[in-house]
Amino acid sequence: MVTVDDYRSDFENEWCPGCGNFGILEAMKAALVTLGLEPHQVLVVSGIGQAAKTPHFLRCNAFHGLHGRALPVATGAKLANHALTVLVNSGDGDCYGEGGNHFMHAVRRNLDVTLIVHDNRIYGLTKGQASPTSDLGMPTRIQPEGTVSEGFNPLAAALALGAGFVARGFSGDKAHLADLIVAGVRHKGFALIDVLQPCVSFNPIHTHGWYKQRVFDLAGEGHDPGDWSAAMARSRQWGDRIPLGILYEEQKPTFIDRIGALEKGPLIDQAAVEFAL
Amino acid sequence: MGLDRTIVIGGEAGQGIQTVGQLLAAACHGAGFEVLAVNDFESRIRGGHSSIGLRVADRPVSAPCRRIDLLVALDAPSEAVHRSDLSEDGLVLADRAAGLAEGRALSLPLEQMAREAGGKILANTVAAGACLGLLGAPEDHCRRIVRQQFEAKGDEVVDRNIAAFTAGYAATRNAAFNGRIQAGWDRSPRGRLMEGNLSVALGAVAADCRVGAFYPMSPATGIMAHLASLSGRYPLVVEQAEDEIAAANMVVGASFAGVRAMTATSGGGFSLMTEALGLAAITETPMVVVDAMRPGPATGLPTRTAQGDLNFVIHASQDEFPRFVFAPGSPEQAFETMVRAFDLSERFQVPAIVLVDQFFNDSLFTVTDFPPPPKVVRHIIGDADMADPAAYRRFAVTADGVSPRALPCRGKALVVAASDDHREDGHLSETMADRRKMVAKRFAKLPAMMARMRPPETLHPEADLLLATWGSSRGAVWEAVETLREAGRSVGAVHFCDLWPFPAEAAGELFATRPWVTVEQNYSGQLGRLVREQTGLKPAGRITRTDGRPFFAEEIVAGLKETKGLKGPK
Repeated sequence: MVTVDDYRSDFENEWCPGCGNFGILEAMKAALVTLGLEPHQVLVVSGIGQAAKTPHFLRCNAFHGLHGRALPVATGAKLANHALTVLVNSGDGDCYGEGGNHFMHAVRRNLDVTLIVHDNRIYGLTKGQASPTSDLGMPTRIQPEGTVSEGFNPLAAALALGAGFVARGFSGDKAHLADLIVAGVRHKGFALIDVLQPCVSFNPIHTHGWYKQRVFDLAGEGHDPGDWSAAMARSRQWGDRIPLGILYEEQKPTFIDRIGALEKGPLIDQAAVEFAL
Repeated sequence: MGLDRTIVIGGEAGQGIQTVGQLLAAACHGAGFEVLAVNDFESRIRGGHSSIGLRVADRPVSAPCRRIDLLVALDAPSEAVHRSDLSEDGLVLADRAAGLAEGRALSLPLEQMAREAGGKILANTVAAGACLGLLGAPEDHCRRIVRQQFEAKGDEVVDRNIAAFTAGYAATRNAAFNGRIQAGWDRSPRGRLMEGNLSVALGAVAADCRVGAFYPMSPATGIMAHLASLSGRYPLVVEQAEDEIAAANMVVGASFAGVRAMTATSGGGFSLMTEALGLAAITETPMVVVDAMRPGPATGLPTRTAQGDLNFVIHASQDEFPRFVFAPGSPEQAFETMVRAFDLSERFQVPAIVLVDQFFNDSLFTVTDFPPPPKVVRHIIGDADMADPAAYRRFAVTADGVSPRALPCRGKALVVAASDDHREDGHLSETMADRRKMVAKRFAKLPAMMARMRPPETLHPEADLLLATWGSSRGAVWEAVETLREAGRSVGAVHFCDLWPFPAEAAGELFATRPWVTVEQNYSGQLGRLVREQTGLKPAGRITRTDGRPFFAEEIVAGLKETKGLKGPK
């Protein structure tokens, strides 16, 4: 039986004490245990940023790639071996800024990976610049008069692009987040879990307490995850009450299902064919 | 001088000059002649001026010839563009070949003949028939070729094209043309006709490449189109990525997960891939990238040819790391080079870059059938090869710098790789000791990599003067050497396919004792600079071409005459 201890990494954790990333890390471990997956059966791919260091603090297979480029690496890995269970850890800057184009196209492909975006609405590793999800007008060290661009809404964007699994979690509710990750991994196709988390060093507005007062579970309010319009409306709800949970889920053929050559099994396991002109 | 004819078909994009070129090439090759067909086109789908230059000879040809024996002008501008290159007894074939001296022009109502045969669209096939009539090709043989060419499109299309061909052929079979090929139409063909870009794709498949990821960019797209067409026969998936950055990272991901993978692009796309090249380097993930060169910088000349990326690919991406760079000089060499690139990239866990160019990719060559490729050996380990899979360290330091490579989720061994520098187990480290260890480990591969590099190919290496070249300019240089030697000059040639790590010892031996001149399609003579950097030897001059068109042998001969400080003819 796989236990949480199997996922414990000896590698020294580098996050700030109190960082929301710890909640996400613990939720991932709990989810992987619930799924009955052993560390050697899991590949975690990440980009660059504090979130992208996550795979080092887990015991599993890991590819910690370039800033913004986790999803293309995950796409290549799934093409080569679609039996892999792939989770992607990314941040709001990594995924929606540097990697925005890849995010859009991973949704279109319906790549069967679980994308966990650590969304603290600020750049942490580069010390406090605005991120794509920062609110319009939020002052930062680089934008002292406040940001001049509107915040990116990842959930609405994913829904508009046709994503088949769109959810929001909160790093301060590990059990709920673990459930979302389990559901995301079980979902056949692209699963986005945008996770609200505080940045204790650089985001003085969106603190743990700020979120704690506002978040609520959609499941308790009769939300139907099969209702795309309701999901779209929920994705735009923000302010005094912020919804958590699975906004939308729809099963459809995945990237791999759509490629005829992969019906015979993962490319890596297919027999070589002798070359002939 | 043996048989050597050049036929140029010019017209607007969309007029079907490709079809004329293909029919002529297939008819001449099928009868036993050596054929080269060079495509010259603008970056547009309709209009403008395009041409296809066909060279037919009785000895192998792999460079175009300037002198035109037969010019088929499907539109009026084609005549003006090419008239100056018409040979003394050359002929222009056109709908209205006005303004040319009698005997040098043949007016043929191509469009009207096409309509009579079934439609205006058949004008290109009428023109092909007229060319083959002038060249003296046997009619039955040509009909077979036309049939083969259109077979896949159904009987009706075949019949209409046969009618169009016949009309053109009948109109010219008795016309006066000094370029008529009187004999030799009854031999069996040598090898096959093949575009350069197909040889690259076939080499990839022969190396068991299973994932191709790319973003469309001329002149590389043809490689991936051929790869896609082969994906039904082999375990192979070609994915069109959202951009070149994604394509290169997909290749790294696929390779990390365990299959051989490649991408093909041109210089602009390669620029976007350079960070991923470094990713492959620091994660020691095999990666094969084909850079099909075109003139730059930026968009440059999108559909033209160049050899300007040599310096770039040797140094691309920040800091430095070992890599392979190859530049094959023929389709046969490209096929073999792709097989080697995949093997060496995997064996040493470093990126391998293959340089081709627009001229090479889009031209049709007479190609010797490829020998069977060597059996693919994967340089991968599994749990069974380890005493203790739990103790596996992906970047374990070894004497030769190559760490045994396991794959993720294929056993109990955990595989951890990072784009940050790292410890032997793949986890991040910023200690001075780990950094030194990893830099030294990556560079420790160089001696063994160098030992795999082949010395340059030579032609008359004992000569008093050597022409040095790389990549697809080989054909023009080889031909220039033959021309110069026929004129009594002691000239030889050196062609580099293996360019990095640079085979400095072999180059030094060749260039230390006599003058040498580089021939390459860039401004500064990048090969010459590379040789100088690596050997301290300075070229006596450089013959370059930067206008986006491939070398003619005759301009190399002329360029040599203009190179100062060289001895005159012996």
